[in-house]
Amino acid sequence: MGKTYWEAFKEAGISRREFLKFATYITGIMGLAPSMVPKVVHALETKERIPVLWLHGLECTGCTESFIRSNAPYASDILLNVISLEYDDTLAAASGILYEENGQMKRAGLNSHAHKIAEEYKGKYILLVEGGVPLGNDGRYCIVAGNPYVEELHHYAENAAAIVTTGTCSSWGGIQAAKPNPTKSVSAVEVIGGKPIIRVPGCPPIPEVLTGVILHVALFGIPPVDEMGRPKQFFGNRIHDTCYRRPFFNAGQFVEKPDDDAAKKGWCLYKIGCRGPTTYASCGNLRWYGGISYPIQSGAPCIGCAEKNFWDNGPFFERQKGIVLPNVEVNADKVGVVAAGVTAAALAAHAVAAGIRHMNKKDDEH
Amino acid sequence: MAKRVVVDPVTRIEGHLRLEITVDEKQNKVVDALSSATMWRGIEVILQGRDPRDAWAFAQRICGVCTTIHALASVRAVEDALEIKIPKNANYIRNIMLATLYIHDHLVHFYHLHALDWVSPLEALQADPVKTAELQKAVFQKYGKLVELAHDYTGLKAYPRKFPKATPAYFKTVQDKIKQIVESGQLGIFAPADWWNHPDYKKLPPEVHLMAIAHYLEMLDTQRELVIPHVVFGGKNPHPHYLVGGMNCSISMNDGNAPVNAARLGLVQTAVEIGLDAINYFYLLDLIAIADIYLNKHKWFYGGGLAKERVLDFGDFPDEPYSDASKTGDFWKKILYHSNGAVYNFKEGWEKAKYEEFNKDSIKDVAEYVQHSFYHYTVGDNKPLHPWEGQTIPAPEDVPPTPWKFLDPSKKYSYSKTPVYKGKTHEVGPLARYIITYVAVKQGHVKPSFVDEMVVKQIDMVSEILGLPPEKWMLSTVGRTVARGLEAQMAANLNSYFLKKLYDNIKAGDTQVANNEKFDPATWGPGIKKGVGFAAAPRGGLSHWIVIDGRTIKNYQAIVPTTWNVAPRIKNEYGEQRAAYEASMLDTEVKAPTQPLEILRTIHSFDPCLACATHIYNTEGEEIYQFNVNSACAV
Repeated sequence: MGKTYWEAFKEAGISRREFLKFATYITGIMGLAPSMVPKVVHALETKERIPVLWLHGLECTGCTESFIRSNAPYASDILLNVISLEYDDTLAAASGILYEENGQMKRAGLNSHAHKIAEEYKGKYILLVEGGVPLGNDGRYCIVAGNPYVEELHHYAENAAAIVTTGTCSSWGGIQAAKPNPTKSVSAVEVIGGKPIIRVPGCPPIPEVLTGVILHVALFGIPPVDEMGRPKQFFGNRIHDTCYRRPFFNAGQFVEKPDDDAAKKGWCLYKIGCRGPTTYASCGNLRWYGGISYPIQSGAPCIGCAEKNFWDNGPFFERQKGIVLPNVEVNADKVGVVAAGVTAAALAAHAVAAGIRHMNKKDDEH
Repeated sequence: MAKRVVVDPVTRIEGHLRLEITVDEKQNKVVDALSSATMWRGIEVILQGRDPRDAWAFAQRICGVCTTIHALASVRAVEDALEIKIPKNANYIRNIMLATLYIHDHLVHFYHLHALDWVSPLEALQADPVKTAELQKAVFQKYGKLVELAHDYTGLKAYPRKFPKATPAYFKTVQDKIKQIVESGQLGIFAPADWWNHPDYKKLPPEVHLMAIAHYLEMLDTQRELVIPHVVFGGKNPHPHYLVGGMNCSISMNDGNAPVNAARLGLVQTAVEIGLDAINYFYLLDLIAIADIYLNKHKWFYGGGLAKERVLDFGDFPDEPYSDASKTGDFWKKILYHSNGAVYNFKEGWEKAKYEEFNKDSIKDVAEYVQHSFYHYTVGDNKPLHPWEGQTIPAPEDVPPTPWKFLDPSKKYSYSKTPVYKGKTHEVGPLARYIITYVAVKQGHVKPSFVDEMVVKQIDMVSEILGLPPEKWMLSTVGRTVARGLEAQMAANLNSYFLKKLYDNIKAGDTQVANNEKFDPATWGPGIKKGVGFAAAPRGGLSHWIVIDGRTIKNYQAIVPTTWNVAPRIKNEYGEQRAAYEASMLDTEVKAPTQPLEILRTIHSFDPCLACATHIYNTEGEEIYQFNVNSACAV
């Protein structure tokens, strides 16, 4: 039953040439060097297509929506050729059916299918997990097919090859875990133990980040991750480091109020609350929708939605206080004062910017 | 003999929904039905004590499918409380984002959440690709006059870029692909294979199945292009960024770094054009073709339920900025879509139906019950509470222990409350809006805008095509689904209309997108301020209610479309009442109880959104804000 990607592509009438193009593309989105293309091709030819089960806890389905927005490959390619999505609340044709027979509750439809797949592909399927896990009232703040979601999570996690937590809710607990956390919700990571777990935070994550992680797991196993389990290729940079508005920060040119003259010029949003300096995500380099925009480009200060407990780090429109900006010895106020106070402001800003660039470089080296 | 069947999880929806039906197997009749929302997150509890300027971000996470609408209702509520009037450009941009949401959400609902209740990939394998190409042409000829209602206000759209392919080769390719998937045994989202055994999948000819499945795939890729306006104006989708006082996306024609300039507007223009094509040439035609066969060939008129009796909405699309909703009611003086009202007894036709306008004086008549909800009220669970004095005290001891077998409808059985208007449950949604607007115009209650006129034209045109009076086809599962498609067509026009207005206003020299006079909370002054934000959400009438104390949120509540529809039953001075889901299930035939496809079709026609339905409320021990019902609008 298990087929390699190349076998599946052949069956679908996709040419070798198209297949190689696909391999080259996914090499790129997985953040691998072009020299890795042959290895990816080899992996696509030899590895089995792995089924994916996608669970939903306390969530808004924004992560699934983001997933189907994938720019390239398209959602149709992902769903029909890349993964075999066997269980998902949002897209599955079949619903779960339960009925009583001889005093026993029988499963039918999606409920029996999901159990069958989990058994058949024991230890081989990937579990995608969306949403927080409520532990309050014995887990009864989220009930799926008559059982607490936390039980469903344990059931399917047990025999998964790997678990990907999609989004901030399953990665960190998310909005329901914000103070006062009425449902006593936690991340899926805190519930599942002894399994390879890849954290893909973001509210929601960027579509191609999700796709890239899934492919990496399917082809090579667990991607290189940081100490918090986040794939380095997508969470290795602060948005601040890759932001196209960074030169304005360096130059001390800041928006002071929404839609002021500086906002029209696209200056730095740090002073109206931007969390770019403390948020690790790919918004600055990948951007959204194949590079069209990201919140900062649309004039909105980043709210840091990929970071742990970001919901309790508000008010969002107030500048982050007490944040140590690595490598920047002058704070934004001082930079601003210097820039505004010197007649040759441009020169001063340039000097500061150059200094910061120099320090960044040093940081990269260690 | 009666058979009890549970549908859980209900898929192709947002969130966690459980349905229980009891079917009389001899008569294929649903003799009892129950709908239960099985999740609760407590977002409004979490909102208390926070900065009102941040409320949109929290509220937006109520739902990632109808993303944007809760942010919109939230900023409207805060602006109503703080008396902030947004600039013209912000109003146009928000309307573009709302119309864009309708287009995207309705289209994705039809193809990806609802279509598989009507069509099957397995049936598509039986189709003749040559005949399918002929069918595509025939569909265009038979129903194509509906497309004449589409209008490009910008005048920039050169030709249809998305247009259905009517060639055998195209349908053959799609069919081959489906064949490969089926033969591989890895059906993925179409699993399990026996799901498709239901006899209703034989109701449509195989060619309709192939055409619709081909468009399922095409629209799965096209949908992402439709929401690009959210990405340009709000930075991303799902969950674009909003701003109290306007929008963040400053406009400048002098700077390439500006969030909005001519190049960025070009991206919006393209998306708006694609929206017109996708809705008119794909969605609308597929929809009417299926509706025609189900209604006229199979006489499948099930699922009307509560819509026959009572529907409600609040209206939307302010043509120009308004000062407030709750104080002078200016919101309702500016809106173009006059679905703000309630209509009773539409089953007798528009002449005999009763219409009531919803305006600022109606605000006091909204309330919620918790008789069968997993919450308590300190005043007793049998009394309704207005949302501004509403409380939610979770009742964990009343949530039955797991595993659940069947829920007991005589007890509490859902995380959804039961909203009422004037003491009664109402159905909300696009169907409700179409009924209300139609009756309001036909009976002469409103001076019709071009939007209202279009609604009437659409309904009359579809009635003519189907050869059925409006009350006959509209008050059904099919009618609910058709109304949503017609609304998407209207939204595609509105998108273009507001984009043209945005162009004209920028050309006139106005580039302001935010009123930042009250951006600093120090300008708000002390004391209590309350506000309400109404919105016509894709799934029906939405309202967010806020009470601000000084600089922080004292109370925040949302009454959400799916809450109106999914709600558990109540009993009050008007008798026992069911909400729309339960009423519609009782109005639906079920052939094979353990394969309740008809129930799913009817429930999907509402486009359920369960994360929306259950969110809310006050915690125990909170100081409850005392709302004087009689002076609701005089603050």
